[in-house]
Amino acid sequence: MTAIRKGRAAVAARLLVLAMTTSALSLPPGAASAQQTFTPREEEPEEFPDAPGREETFYFCTACHNFKLVAQQGMSRPRWDGTLDFMTERHGMPKLEGKDRDVILDYLEQAFPETTATPGWQNPFLKR
Amino acid sequence: MSGKIERSIEELYLEDPERADARIFGRKAGTNRRGFLESAGLAAVGAAVGGAIPFSQNMPAGLIPAAFAQDKGAAPAPAAAPAAPKGPIHLDFPGKDKGLVVIGEKPLVAETPEHLLNDDTTPIDKFYIRNNGQIPDEAKDPDKWVIKIDGEVNKPFEITLGELKSKYKAQTLRMVLECGGNGRSFFTPRASGNQWTNGGAGCAEWTGVRLADVLKAAGVKPSGIYTAHYAADVHLSGDPNRPTLSRGVRIAKAMEPESMIVWGMNGKPLPNIHGGPVRLLIPGWAGSASQKWLTRISIRDKEHDGPGMTGTSYRLAIKPMVPGDKADPKNFRILESMPVRSIITAPANGAKLAAGTRDVALRGASWAGDLSVQRVDISIDYGQSWQAAKLEKPKNKFDWQRWTATLKLPSDGYFEIWSRATDSKGKMQPHVAPNWNPSGYGGNPFHRIAVLVG
Repeated sequence: MTAIRKGRAAVAARLLVLAMTTSALSLPPGAASAQQTFTPREEEPEEFPDAPGREETFYFCTACHNFKLVAQQGMSRPRWDGTLDFMTERHGMPKLEGKDRDVILDYLEQAFPETTATPGWQNPFLKR
Repeated sequence: MSGKIERSIEELYLEDPERADARIFGRKAGTNRRGFLESAGLAAVGAAVGGAIPFSQNMPAGLIPAAFAQDKGAAPAPAAAPAAPKGPIHLDFPGKDKGLVVIGEKPLVAETPEHLLNDDTTPIDKFYIRNNGQIPDEAKDPDKWVIKIDGEVNKPFEITLGELKSKYKAQTLRMVLECGGNGRSFFTPRASGNQWTNGGAGCAEWTGVRLADVLKAAGVKPSGIYTAHYAADVHLSGDPNRPTLSRGVRIAKAMEPESMIVWGMNGKPLPNIHGGPVRLLIPGWAGSASQKWLTRISIRDKEHDGPGMTGTSYRLAIKPMVPGDKADPKNFRILESMPVRSIITAPANGAKLAAGTRDVALRGASWAGDLSVQRVDISIDYGQSWQAAKLEKPKNKFDWQRWTATLKLPSDGYFEIWSRATDSKGKMQPHVAPNWNPSGYGGNPFHRIAVLVG
């Protein structure tokens, strides 16, 4: 158990470094003021479904974008896998390989699986 | 991993709609997959909705009654999680209506619920927001903003916004701008990307010059067949060498008299959040072709291949694919004209009407990409019968067409009102989002609202 936890912590630490390297890039001097008109809400990993790999996935993805973008998806593992490639090719995400990739794919697959009903239907009657 | 995840009605329906019917309401679909066989199930649904459900025999199995549908929000959280926002997050942004619903905060994306699109011209404060990258600082001296025209042209040049305003003839047109992914949330299985309902669209008065006039001044060579658009917004990663988005269109589309470089919106300087001081406006096509914070148009001798042009981005499957399958990028073509769509803008989805109300006045809008709308029909019985709405003419090409209708309801109770537009070539909105593709383009099913009378 301890070994697994240690392994997981090591993966998390590595991913965090990767993520921080990416986000460090995103803050050239004065860039912070560019967002003055809108401050994104601070998200926490605990808001999202609990499963192994949550923290790793959260901090890796939020180096660039909010996690809500992830959480509103629902995909099979092959599509999540393709999405990671897309993020690397299209958006310059550090390439995820080996165990790092497995940790994140495992979480995405478990937390945001493919869904068979449409999410796009809302009704204010429920707000009571 | 000890936290027990509570399952909402929505989750159950997401997993297996028919089983959810059976588990929650004891409702079973008939062999024709419609309707309730067990009256106890119907009573349970009715009691939960708070009213009788007329036409319930037509309600397809596995359809969450509108009144139950959960607000789209963060994913289901474990019971012990910190307070994740429940329901829609409303936009808090200077100069914008608080009724807009935030789809994502970074990048900032917000849609306009259909009932806030009830104005003939969408006010700036109600206009949807779509960003791909960071929001740039507001330009301090808009007239000094520089746009470069280059590539396959005889006379490449740079021009300031001030010069653009003085050198070319300006025009103002009321035109729909619509995100390419509008309607994505209606696909099953879920398509990837921002989960827009119908609110990634608006119709504003745009002031600017014809893109054709500017391109003609540069002299497009016969080899120039495609445009490539570039902008000042910075990629979310912060990498200054990575364009956030760079899309383009066929030269013929760029040369249409309604394709414009715009600096005015509803008579005001184009706001920064909408791409000010200057952006492209390529009406009828995916909004991403209408580059915000425009800095450069490069004419190319082949289809542009910038970020957002390749793979399955802004593309549709040529050979129809099994929903959810892995996509073969070779089987995709660029999404050009947006599909026909209608929305009911009044009453609002979820409106409660006084007991005894029988006449309901409806208002709505409809549009069809490069085409016009030839009719809009309304149903109050789940599509079994339809009545024609009164459809207005557009002010100019690419304007939306407002419509009105008066409904006669047969009783008190829960009603769903569906709208269906037909474009000028006879294509109608379908019942479900058609032609599944992994990034969810072309999702234009009927608009559906629910009202409760009494």
